[in-house]
Amino acid sequence: MNVPITAILDQILASLPLFKPEFCLTAGFICAIATALFAEQRLKNVTFTVTALSLGATIYCLFLQVPISATTGFSGMWLVDKLGTYARILISTATLLIAFFIQQRHTRQQNGDIYSMLLAATLGMHVLCSTSSWLLAFIGIEMVSIASYLLVGYFSQNKAQSEAAMKYALFGSVCAAVMLYGLSLMYGLTGNLDFKSAQHLQGLMTASEPLVTLSILFVCVGIGFKLSFVPLHLWSPDVYQGSPTAITAFLSTVPKVGAIILFTRVYQAWSSTSFYFSELATWIIVVVALASMLIGNLAALRQKDVKRLMAYSSIAHTGFLMMAIFAYQDTFRYLFFYLVAYVLMNLATFIFIDHLEQRTGSTTLRSYMGLGRKLPLLFSAFTIVAVSLIGLPPTIGFIGKLMVFSAVFDSYQDGQDTSVLLLLVVGALTAVISLFFYFRIPLYAFIRKEDDFKHLQSSSAGLLLSVGYGLVFLVLLLGLFPQLLLDLLL
Amino acid sequence: MISITHFLIVSAIIFCIGVYAILAKRNAIMILVGIELMINASILNFVAFARYDSVNYGGQVFALFAIVLAAAAVAVGLAIILNVYRHYKTIDPKNINELKD
Repeated sequence: MNVPITAILDQILASLPLFKPEFCLTAGFICAIATALFAEQRLKNVTFTVTALSLGATIYCLFLQVPISATTGFSGMWLVDKLGTYARILISTATLLIAFFIQQRHTRQQNGDIYSMLLAATLGMHVLCSTSSWLLAFIGIEMVSIASYLLVGYFSQNKAQSEAAMKYALFGSVCAAVMLYGLSLMYGLTGNLDFKSAQHLQGLMTASEPLVTLSILFVCVGIGFKLSFVPLHLWSPDVYQGSPTAITAFLSTVPKVGAIILFTRVYQAWSSTSFYFSELATWIIVVVALASMLIGNLAALRQKDVKRLMAYSSIAHTGFLMMAIFAYQDTFRYLFFYLVAYVLMNLATFIFIDHLEQRTGSTTLRSYMGLGRKLPLLFSAFTIVAVSLIGLPPTIGFIGKLMVFSAVFDSYQDGQDTSVLLLLVVGALTAVISLFFYFRIPLYAFIRKEDDFKHLQSSSAGLLLSVGYGLVFLVLLLGLFPQLLLDLLL
Repeated sequence: MISITHFLIVSAIIFCIGVYAILAKRNAIMILVGIELMINASILNFVAFARYDSVNYGGQVFALFAIVLAAAAVAVGLAIILNVYRHYKTIDPKNINELKD
């Protein structure tokens, strides 16, 4: 097959407009490196301004892409559809908030470079959200991972931060290497790198079962590391606890959105047949969802550090998102709604944790004792977020969980499958378990008396805290009127 | 005559050596070397399979990207390990366990 080079060039030029948001990010990345090198000493916050501008331009270009439904460009490598566009809007907006978080919290040091890494990670997640090619998926995962290692290790003010960075980098590189081997086997079995293509599915159907099992499991290792679902969750409590809180807020929310979208696409492409590999994919997702929900919630029960607790909580939420992917039928609305809920809740939680860390100098639950009287507004807002994380009304967490449960219940009524029933039972049961550990935060703050007088440090980041209250307001607003968001997602 | 099977066997052996290095070595740099071996095993696989895919050259392109990404990941990994050494004066992952349950 010989295509003339002019035809190829025409095709590339025609697909360039699909890549506009990513061009904004790339330009912002290069400008951020330059300003961090040359202009940061003279003009404070110039790198942050460049980052915010480029993220704003990206979000604007993405809104222009919203009407596009399912177009491919660059010879089928780049895929723009509604799910991907909404997910990229969510990612860019959350990254903008996190850039603001970092700017408010780390004012003293010369840290222009951290913004360029943030932009590189965002670019990687955009790639994850809009591809059906394993090549781009691998590049996206590695871009997010390498930028995240640097974000975790960037400050390394103390032992814990450098240890977290090393654990993250080693664990992540091993997972990426295993995934690469799995991809090479899959390429050998199918001769095609596009996981939606007929040739790829054909190859998986005809290949021998042990080889298919091995390659699919290896590929899931790489995606599972980014999602931190259960057999591969070991890094996340240590890394979440060790990194600076602003970076933890980033790690726990944004990369998961990208990886979830990629996993959804893979699962959708693979689960439609009745061959061995579809069964295997379904089994993997069911087992992983069950294990993540159980282990995440049960391990969170005995945590004393709030950041560790949130790490296990996010593992449990990943299990729930797996369930949402499993029940994905013809609409992505509830999956995306749950993602929005998850990002809102986690960002608000980490903003509060960070503020309390500044005031008390600690992130243990014990240090919150008796603080409810001194900081009533903060802890009321924190309690609302905890209620939402459990999934009780009238919050966005409740609506998200309700939509996922009803979708899973529908698929149970269609198929009467025991595994689906098990998912429903475990999902409901673990929501009850989660009540016990999320409510320890208000329990310590309001009910337990403090033993000794504590002096609260004064804090400067009032603006950040008001962003946190704004997020809590959104949690309540979308919990009472979910149609505001759902009507946008048509 | 060297067939594709020979390439696959060699790459599987290299992959297993890499896994062994990661599991057995008590030195963060040797773990990075193990990761590098695993990545190179996959690259060998890609190039070997690409011989049968003369339409898209997907395997060869993938191999090039994998080399670049592996180099980037190792550079970052070495910088982080250097940083750990400054704080702990050791790079044995077993002794670096301040964060745990």
